[in-house]
Amino acid sequence: MLDSLFDDVKRMNKRQFIYQVLSFGMIVSSALMIWKGLMVVTGSESPIVVVLSGSMEPAFHRGDLLFLTNYPEEPVRVGEIVVFKVEGRDIPIVHRVLKLHEKNNGTVKFLTKGDNNSVDDRGLYAQGQLWLTKKDVVGRARGFLPYVGMVTIYMNEYPKLKFAVLACLAIYVLVHRE
Amino acid sequence: MPEPQEAVKINKWDGAAAKNAIDDAIREVFTGDLKCKESFALIDGRLFLCALAVGVALYALLWDYLYPFPQSRLVLIICVSSYFILMGILTLYTTFKEKGIFVVAKEKVGNNNRVWEASSYVKKHDDKYNLVLVMRDGSGKSREVSVNKSFANFIDTNGAIVQNVVVNEITKLYNSLSSEKKEK
Repeated sequence: MLDSLFDDVKRMNKRQFIYQVLSFGMIVSSALMIWKGLMVVTGSESPIVVVLSGSMEPAFHRGDLLFLTNYPEEPVRVGEIVVFKVEGRDIPIVHRVLKLHEKNNGTVKFLTKGDNNSVDDRGLYAQGQLWLTKKDVVGRARGFLPYVGMVTIYMNEYPKLKFAVLACLAIYVLVHRE
Repeated sequence: MPEPQEAVKINKWDGAAAKNAIDDAIREVFTGDLKCKESFALIDGRLFLCALAVGVALYALLWDYLYPFPQSRLVLIICVSSYFILMGILTLYTTFKEKGIFVVAKEKVGNNNRVWEASSYVKKHDDKYNLVLVMRDGSGKSREVSVNKSFANFIDTNGAIVQNVVVNEITKLYNSLSSEKKEK
């Protein structure tokens, strides 16, 4: 059974094999280039994020997919939902802007809070940080798809599942011609 | 190159696999029995386009890693747009230039250079293998012949290619195209 799986590959000549590897590379590259293209269009370093916690309920639930934009000319306003990074945390946070101070020279500092949390986010920020600034912002929520991101959450909770799925797809693409 | 004697076993109800196996058998006939020299220019062109596209994507990935996003914006714009342009070129190349040609064989007869191009296609859920054989001679004239036969003609019940049937079939087409030329 396993032998016949690789029959296609064994029968390939050098050029067919190179093409097989390259077409696998192109599938990966296409996904990558679409992602990078979205980054350029939206101005956000991560144009699509998945909500991981229930801290923004009832607006967003765990597993919702958010579309972000981050145009520098659009000012941040109170009430908007921003996605921001905090030093020392890998995963960005999705919360609402609660207070905002804007200076004449254009610099802003703001405070956020999760709709479902009883306190503001100062406890979540880095040690000694009281305000967020523009450089902390990954993007602002512009649209969402409910629960689509659950797949991603399961994949991240069970890394073995993720690697199994990816490995199966990779092997399938590599051993099948056309 | 695999040995021609090596019995390959394929599932002949898998159209793509059967087509690939017969294509390979025909390529062997041209490079082996008919002593033609295979020309790789066409397939190398496609490989080059693919490699370039993957290279562009890798470059974008590396650049974005070294200079995180807002800085890498210009390079990303260039890479992303050239990647999609390359994909377009690749599609045009395979549909209009390659057109399913799986072997280009060159042959010298006297002082005449002849080029043989074999292309094939199989419709989805169909058992008919369509082969188009084109011969171009040195003066730029071309002649073509096509056959449309079921996979069952080339593959036995065990799923092995019957190489001598393929050889006979191709030799017949080869001779008919070659002799047609002499008549004129």
